[in-house]
Amino acid sequence: MAGSGIHLPLQSIEAQQLGELVEQFLDLLRDTEIGEDAALNRLTPAVYPEDADASAEFADATSADLLDRRAADARVVRAGLGALGEDSDRPVEELVLAASEVDAWMRTLAALRLVIASRLGIQDEPSPDPDDPRLGVYDWLGYRLDLLVEAADELDGV
Amino acid sequence: MSSPLLTPAVDEQLDLQAAPAVPWELVVWDDPVNLMSYVVRVFRTYFGYPKDRATRLMLSVHNDGHAVVATGPRETMEVHAQAMHDYGLWATVRRAGE
Repeated sequence: MAGSGIHLPLQSIEAQQLGELVEQFLDLLRDTEIGEDAALNRLTPAVYPEDADASAEFADATSADLLDRRAADARVVRAGLGALGEDSDRPVEELVLAASEVDAWMRTLAALRLVIASRLGIQDEPSPDPDDPRLGVYDWLGYRLDLLVEAADELDGV
Repeated sequence: MSSPLLTPAVDEQLDLQAAPAVPWELVVWDDPVNLMSYVVRVFRTYFGYPKDRATRLMLSVHNDGHAVVATGPRETMEVHAQAMHDYGLWATVRRAGE
């Protein structure tokens, strides 16, 4: 199919912001021990919630690999953003994702939302301060992810 | 049928508990972060479920707090759980009927 893949217009400022988030995420994955950070805990949930020993054994065997796959996904996103023109004067870039890159992008956007939600205490009461700028980033990532899901479903003919 | 000339040196204990294959379940739990459209896509593309089934499962997760999205051997459910974790879904494994 001509022009296969997903074409997503992205403003330069969005690309820059996403690039910064991805760098921070890679830093988090590299520098943080599993178990020391609530967001990383959310990315590596206990698989047997009622059996701490079995969960720990499973986590010992799998969590490092899981976070390695996270980092690999994030590097796919970083590479995609890096392929955008260096010409920062252009207000809108067009991101072209190959079908093989779509999952890495979606998983990374979803993971960034989970990390921000954890930092903001989205699940907590009271709700986060509506003026917290991170809430805007969180919503924007959701908007972008939803568009990406829609485009990917369309590519699948669903 | 012939008889073996030698007794095979097999020292295997029959694990009676494992004999009836007790199925295990992969459970996905509701969370306030993951988008409905994304969860449907994950169920559809990873498990190969048709869109209507994937949508029903997502709605069960959303409305009931959790849903069993796959059943089978424990090892398979553990592989699925890792894949769900890769997607950021909150998945656990349990013995069926618990």
